[in-house]
Amino acid sequence: MTLGTFIRRGRPRWQKLEEMLGFIEVKGPRKTDRPFLRELSALYRATTGDLAYAQTHYRGTTLLLFLHQLVARAHNQIYRAHRFSPTETGRFVFNDIPVAVRAHLQAVAWSAIIFLLGIALGLSAVQFDERAASIVLPTNILNSIYSGHMWTGSIFSVVPAAVASTFLFTSNISVALLAFAGGLSFGLITTWILFQNGFMLGVSIKLCADYGLLGALFTFIAGHGLLEISAIVLSGAGGYVIANALLNPGSYSRGDALARQGPDAVRMAIACVPALITSGCIEAFISPSNQPFWFKTAVGLTIGVSFWLYLLLTGKRAATTAPSP
Amino acid sequence: MSTTSTWDARRTELELPEEIDLQVELANVGSRTLAILVDLSLGGLVLFIVYALSMLLGRNMVDDWLTKVSANAFKTVLMLLIFGFQWGYFNFFEWLWNGQTPGKRLLHLRVIKVDGSPVSVVDVMLRNLSRPIDTLGPMGLIGLLMIFVSRKAQRLGDLMARTLVIHETKIDWSIFDQLPGATGEGDAPRLAPAIRLTSAQWELLHRYLNRREKLQPEARVRLVQSLYDTLKPAVLGTELALSPLPPEEWLVELSKRT
Repeated sequence: MTLGTFIRRGRPRWQKLEEMLGFIEVKGPRKTDRPFLRELSALYRATTGDLAYAQTHYRGTTLLLFLHQLVARAHNQIYRAHRFSPTETGRFVFNDIPVAVRAHLQAVAWSAIIFLLGIALGLSAVQFDERAASIVLPTNILNSIYSGHMWTGSIFSVVPAAVASTFLFTSNISVALLAFAGGLSFGLITTWILFQNGFMLGVSIKLCADYGLLGALFTFIAGHGLLEISAIVLSGAGGYVIANALLNPGSYSRGDALARQGPDAVRMAIACVPALITSGCIEAFISPSNQPFWFKTAVGLTIGVSFWLYLLLTGKRAATTAPSP
Repeated sequence: MSTTSTWDARRTELELPEEIDLQVELANVGSRTLAILVDLSLGGLVLFIVYALSMLLGRNMVDDWLTKVSANAFKTVLMLLIFGFQWGYFNFFEWLWNGQTPGKRLLHLRVIKVDGSPVSVVDVMLRNLSRPIDTLGPMGLIGLLMIFVSRKAQRLGDLMARTLVIHETKIDWSIFDQLPGATGEGDAPRLAPAIRLTSAQWELLHRYLNRREKLQPEARVRLVQSLYDTLKPAVLGTELALSPLPPEEWLVELSKRT
């Protein structure tokens, strides 16, 4: 068959296939009916045949490239990944994420340990030398503590809660996602972020205790602290899952280990987004308010504990019980 | 797989259930960088417009509650935009447009899975949430190095999500329409062409003849010479091999005889 004959015979079906693909790519498979799909699959098979023929006879032409792409597009539609749907999203939230977290409780434990280590070092650093606080805390906060006032009052009275909450959750999510991505640096960036955040908390606690503000500090963080810390620790754990794949690939190549663990890691990290939006809103709307300590604690505990219950109890049970940290 | 330099397009093979090796053209470093630049400028433009609007609106307003509210609203919108662009833009578009962002669409690039299937939400999130590490260093040095070094031009995020960035070439049918038998009814009348070119050579020749009017003169001279050198061996044994015609006319003559 000459190239001309080949094109004359094949082109009508390629054009038809292109047309149908254009339709299904935009409208989605739900808008199509049975005869449409039948024709699509028939055309797909015919075009694969054309591709095989062209591969033998017309090497090096753009026609061959065109057929490759046409078949690839059709293949994409026929073997398409699941698109967005309520059931898919529900499964992702209520099964995939908790299952991923439960499969990597060890990483969660490590992440929490590094964070606690940061707190401990922050506490002892201030104990050892009060000036250590100036490493991590800005001067206006320090001055406010030295004069015996909580810094939160002055900040949250100036900035409206809506702006503050947006600022809080955008910056917190950025930090958390960076802790996840930092897994690719063999966990160095993850560790640094977890440690730094713990250190800052430790320093604040010790400094406030020294200046008689401990009660005020705990009243402030009671509402959002647990959820916020949980989210950072969780996304750091996602980073450690990646770091572990890189450092300890086992019988896989590093690239394969990365690709195997990646989806679980990103599921763990993405759980921090709604959690941090919630905690940002609580921190801006409830924490600076004059609500009593018990109210804020009740809110914080309810939300924090239900977050962990969601992570540990929803979704399919693993066949073997996961090792507890 | 052809062995070409990293700057050129590389091909890679995917295996389909139909037992055909599907060849795709991997996007090269240049077009990927360009696509990112387009995306960045797009985001920058939107941010700039919102920022400029907030400045313009704020300037002529008296200091009342409305000014305060709108200033705060703009501050919030600006923060959300920056945040959304940083973490959401690539995720959103690559998910919605099946592996394409506006920049990728402009340059005919697409993200697909290594096995040729379309990307899922988790893949998109994996390759885009790990972007900060790939863009570490000056000009995204780590990602750039990874694209150079890895066999399928994958940066770290691509490795993790098992994705490829491919280039989709458009076909120019007008070249093939000149084929005997490509249009019209029935098989072409066999004129027994004197010279047989391979289909790749034939396309090369006609692609040049189609484009030659649009070329710059010096580029045209260079191209003619290289085409002449490439196609000369194909006509060995015919009278065209000894023809004294200058390269340009020689190519036209050749196209008439095939």
